[in-house]
Amino acid sequence: MRLRTILLLAALPALPAAENDPTTWLTYGKNSRGWRYSEIRQINTANVAQLAPAWSFQTGVFGKFETTPLVFDRMMFVTGPENHAYALDLATGRQMWHYFKPMPRETSVCCGRVNRGFAVLGQKLFKVNLESRLVALDAKTGNVIWETEIDDIKKGYSATVAPLVAKNLVIIGIAGAEFGVRGFVDAYDADTGKRVWRFWTVAGPGDPGSNTWGGDSWKRGGGSTWITGTYDPELNLTYWGTGNPGPDMNGDVRPGDNLYTCAVVALDVDTGQRKWHYQMTPHDVHDWDAIADPVLLDLVIKGEKVKAVVQANRNGFFYALDRATGKLLVAKAYTKVSWADGIGLDGRPILISGQDPTEDGNKSCPGIGGGHNWQATAFSPQTGLYYFTSTEGCQLYYKTDQEFREGQWYQGSTTGPIPTEPTTGAIFGLHPATGETRWKFEMVTPPTSGLLATAGGLVFGGDREGYFFALDARTGKPLWKFQTGGMVIAPPISYMLDGRQYVAVAAGQTMMTFALPKQP
Amino acid sequence: MRRVWALGLTAAGMLGAQSGPKNPFANDPTAAEAGRPVFRLFCSPCHGIRAGGGRGPDLTRGVYSVGESDASLFEVIANGATGTEMPEYMSRLGDENIWRMVSYIRSVARPDTTPITGDRGSGEKLFWGKGNCGQCHVVGTRGGRMGPELTRIGRTRSAAYLRESLVDVNADLTPGFFAVTVVTRDGKKLSGVQRAYDNFSAQFMDVNEKFYSFQKSEVASMKREFRSLMPDAYRQLFNDAEINDLVAYMAGLRGEDKR
Repeated sequence: MRLRTILLLAALPALPAAENDPTTWLTYGKNSRGWRYSEIRQINTANVAQLAPAWSFQTGVFGKFETTPLVFDRMMFVTGPENHAYALDLATGRQMWHYFKPMPRETSVCCGRVNRGFAVLGQKLFKVNLESRLVALDAKTGNVIWETEIDDIKKGYSATVAPLVAKNLVIIGIAGAEFGVRGFVDAYDADTGKRVWRFWTVAGPGDPGSNTWGGDSWKRGGGSTWITGTYDPELNLTYWGTGNPGPDMNGDVRPGDNLYTCAVVALDVDTGQRKWHYQMTPHDVHDWDAIADPVLLDLVIKGEKVKAVVQANRNGFFYALDRATGKLLVAKAYTKVSWADGIGLDGRPILISGQDPTEDGNKSCPGIGGGHNWQATAFSPQTGLYYFTSTEGCQLYYKTDQEFREGQWYQGSTTGPIPTEPTTGAIFGLHPATGETRWKFEMVTPPTSGLLATAGGLVFGGDREGYFFALDARTGKPLWKFQTGGMVIAPPISYMLDGRQYVAVAAGQTMMTFALPKQP
Repeated sequence: MRRVWALGLTAAGMLGAQSGPKNPFANDPTAAEAGRPVFRLFCSPCHGIRAGGGRGPDLTRGVYSVGESDASLFEVIANGATGTEMPEYMSRLGDENIWRMVSYIRSVARPDTTPITGDRGSGEKLFWGKGNCGQCHVVGTRGGRMGPELTRIGRTRSAAYLRESLVDVNADLTPGFFAVTVVTRDGKKLSGVQRAYDNFSAQFMDVNEKFYSFQKSEVASMKREFRSLMPDAYRQLFNDAEINDLVAYMAGLRGEDKR
């Protein structure tokens, strides 16, 4: 009987139960719904002013440090730029093992040789490498258990995403929409590394939606999937945001809506089949990827309970969708938007003319990075608020004719600043059932870091100038700050060790942890 | 006549010294067009969307401070230019794209239509005398510290850019040289040029070259303005000929004083 119980336990999906343990951090978004909410309240609004560094670990690896660390078994698992990864002793920060694989020279990366973190199932850690490969590492040693090619780097594919574990599958997205790739979401068998399914984010011949791509433009249609999706075990669906169509700023060569780019897609976890999609920006020409965290929230909208997926989109609108059907529930601009006069009842943006890129540059708002971009968001069930960062301002968008060459930059032009209107930043505390902004923390420059919400009534974030800080989750008022000495690009996490709560964040080339002073 | 001969020798010497790798696309008429989107994406933020210069030098003049050969252009794009804001692009673009960009830069070069007509000597006198520019700008070892150093400005900015900076001081601000103003809780107003500025603090230097550091939480107000602290007065102070002289002087500042 006892043996049978153990076998049954082993057969259960490991994550949904374990991810509720507030002392650990087992998946990119803390839970598979993507909340980034810690239930530990030891560090709170009353005492956060005393928060101080506990230990730091310097990687010595130059590049943007974007990782969400995982924490379990008294260890912290950190991925760095340039295909580096580390296991650190949670008590001291001492390195337990180091993984490194040099990146082939011909790898194309648009925006830094970055990585956003591990996923875990049992004692297997999963990470992507830049050269479009997925590896499984032994959590005890860092040794490679298996390694799989995701796709061919010569076609412009690269990989930066933190994988998502659902059941026995490792689900990943791909990067490369600036190099004319055709995007996808893949699922791999966690035991063997064999691919189980692939969902193409660009509809090809025979696929529903293939008529939204003129000619053979679908072949280089972009739609990369570089931010981790979320997972609803009850609906058996995984939700992924898709990136811009390619080439970014020249839509002439790809007439049509360009499905399923700049959209949120709901995929059957077992088969990868599309259950529904909602396209935020049809025929995007501003590089407004819809890759921001698709966060699963149960909301009450106009008196009705609804299972929703929400997203603060790069195009300047906040969206809430019915996560069973994809039906639009809420769409509201959270920042200055010049390209659309709201979202119509049919779910399509009400376009304002004269907003497309031109040869000589045309102003549009928000700028190329949004609005809110990829930086991790947070939701607090305590305040009921959804927290995310935003770049505030507009840009000039240029269009250029460009011939496609495999594996080469294929952006169809560029953007530039408006000299008299420098962009700034903000962190929003927003009511997700209405899209109303409750508070806004204004920042002098565009934001860089992700966010963490805690039961201590706090929202943690960082900035371009090196500050790591805590805001009051109810008001946005700053309560604590620490100058880390390096740009904070990663999202913070929180965990508990031996009865003490810690907050950890990567800054510059350093992994830092913070705790309250030990009581004498 | 003798002078021309000497120049000819120098040019030949330079070409000899710079004979390096050849542009594999030198005879490919499509290479320039292929380089254009790459240029617009990576180079236009500093060199202008039409390569006419801005924060970086005007590339349409057909003369480059790094040398005139394809190999020298390749070298500076691949590895950057030491002592300037020009970074390396080899890691992002690779050989072939850089050669295509060399072809593009060649294709936009045209005879210089904005000759520098002023007199350097007169410009130098105006700079240190009537204009009092040296109060805020260092040239070599001489001058003040409020504004950007101008020792090598003729290498890094086009003449048109220098002229614009003189007559329209806010046309393009040098990053970091913004105006910071703090009002203390006892009502004292302090302002100066930014050294650092963030969400929680400000560090700046005032006109007496004194440094200040304030926490936002400890002052009545703190603001940064994206405007130049340089007086917007030179259009009135100088006539056209004097402005030409000043531009000629600055365009001739190539960094010799420190070498």
